[in-house]
Amino acid sequence: MGAGQGQRFAVSRARWRRAALQQWGPGYVLVLPAMALIAVMMINPTLETAWFSVSTVRLPTFETTFVGLSNFVNIIADPATGRLLQRTVWWVVGTVVLRFILGFLAALVFNAKVRGTTWMRVLVVLPWTIPSVVAANLWRWILQSDTGILDQTLRAWGLAGAARNWLGDPGTALPAVMVAYSWAGFPFIMLLILAGLQGVPGEHYEAAEVDGANWWHLFRYITVPAVRGVLVIALVLETVSAINSFDTLTVMTGGGPANATQTWSLAIYRAGFADFNLGGASALSVLLFLGALALLTIYSAANKGSQIKQAP
Amino acid sequence: MTQLERGQTATWPFVTRKQTSRVGQHVLVYALGLLFVFFSIVPLIWGVSTALKTMNDQYSFPPRWIPDPVTFEHFISVLNNHTIIRGFFNTLIVSISTTAIALVVGVLGGYGFSRFRFPGRNTLLWSVLFTQLFPRVVVIVPFFITLRNLHLMNTLPGLILVYLMVVFPVSIWLVKGFFDRIPVEIEEAAVVDGCTIPRLLWRIVLPMSKPALVAAAMYSFVLAWNEFLFALVFTQGLERRPLSVALAFFIDENGIRWGELMAASLLMSIPAVIVFTVSQRLLVRGLSEGALRG
Repeated sequence: MGAGQGQRFAVSRARWRRAALQQWGPGYVLVLPAMALIAVMMINPTLETAWFSVSTVRLPTFETTFVGLSNFVNIIADPATGRLLQRTVWWVVGTVVLRFILGFLAALVFNAKVRGTTWMRVLVVLPWTIPSVVAANLWRWILQSDTGILDQTLRAWGLAGAARNWLGDPGTALPAVMVAYSWAGFPFIMLLILAGLQGVPGEHYEAAEVDGANWWHLFRYITVPAVRGVLVIALVLETVSAINSFDTLTVMTGGGPANATQTWSLAIYRAGFADFNLGGASALSVLLFLGALALLTIYSAANKGSQIKQAP
Repeated sequence: MTQLERGQTATWPFVTRKQTSRVGQHVLVYALGLLFVFFSIVPLIWGVSTALKTMNDQYSFPPRWIPDPVTFEHFISVLNNHTIIRGFFNTLIVSISTTAIALVVGVLGGYGFSRFRFPGRNTLLWSVLFTQLFPRVVVIVPFFITLRNLHLMNTLPGLILVYLMVVFPVSIWLVKGFFDRIPVEIEEAAVVDGCTIPRLLWRIVLPMSKPALVAAAMYSFVLAWNEFLFALVFTQGLERRPLSVALAFFIDENGIRWGELMAASLLMSIPAVIVFTVSQRLLVRGLSEGALRG
């Protein structure tokens, strides 16, 4: 590490450059623990998963035999895979949309700066703060057939016909879990968008009102552009978390009834740790990872594209 | 419309219209706000109500929201439940250790990335961000393999290592973001006076960075406290299982005792609710900034 070369990378501030801190050495030492974690727990395991996905893994010795793409062929040939993919897409799209609608609406309401709404905001955020296992158990109890509070209330209101076994009926199980999952997650979107809205000066709205803008114009041309960055972040975070979501589904239904709530992430768990087919689970993991990567790439490209379009 | 109001309208065409519409707007905001409050807390109230109700009242029809008589029997049986107490201590040990290590890694990494420019810096920063966005469920198989290779399967240190992978990127981003906003002049002066980097960090930088440290610590603690997937995959048996797994499979030969489950859930929620309520602004900013810069 020559001094001349070091200067090329040094910060532009003249005094800082002269200081002893400019050396590379301390920088590497400081980030070493983080890099060690990434190497041990990320790079090495990822490579091993890639290897497992093209192998048969024998337990308990973890002996691997190269089998080419047969794990992937098995997944594609499995008639259940199409339904699994469809269900996963429906789960991701449904929960992200539901969380966004609830979160955005709540953010608009609590951004109105009406006196006496602060206590409301604190209460609305509560579902996001409780552990996911707790939220899932709570909803499982609420939605229990017959003895759950929802069915009991429906019956008490004379709507016994609407009462059903929400989590036991393949037709209602997935939507029911979606509601529970969105209930627990929408306050985060609300907080993100609220933070974005805080930067919009009230004068913008007033000026636009003077010019005769209606509420839709205000929303479309002032509010949405102001929170655009935050919306993209929220979309990315929520998509990853929906793809990831395991807790709520596992606790509420365990993937049942009749696989009606089985998503890709549950399938990975089942293949790896119920069927002990680590090769198959690795292949499923690789596919899910590629899917997530493709989605994030599309988001990023769409975001860049629209930014260029907006530029004067 | 009176003469006076008409006069005002002439001067500022929007004032009077706004004054009348403002009342309506306030009512609308208040009504919608209450609707959201209702949606958010009614399920929670039912949980609390269940926890405080006697066994016999739990399935009463029509449903009774206010427990009468109020009982603490479920809380008492939770405190006498070996599985839950064991899970509580496992969770506590794992959460505290994860938080402590994540802070160390976060402070060192955050300082390194904020103050030093070295070859490969951007690549490394990207890899940190990438780790954060990596779908967690995708890594259960590789983590399983790694923990097995390290002989850490079904141990608390193994679980701590796995949780570190989830929290350290956020910890670094939060701390780095904060360091980036601290002017370097103070540190420069200290270096000129012969201060070493460890001393500099400990004596000057850390005391200035309390908000970032608090946010990183709270995030790490709550994530480890709430986590379920890794806990389920990487631990077996009652002795090593954290509270989240104990509550997820809270069932015995008589079925689920909902009163007891809700009481235990309430106790488990307290730390998370406090942390999130106190630090939500810091956390939301930190999380969104991390993603924004990447």
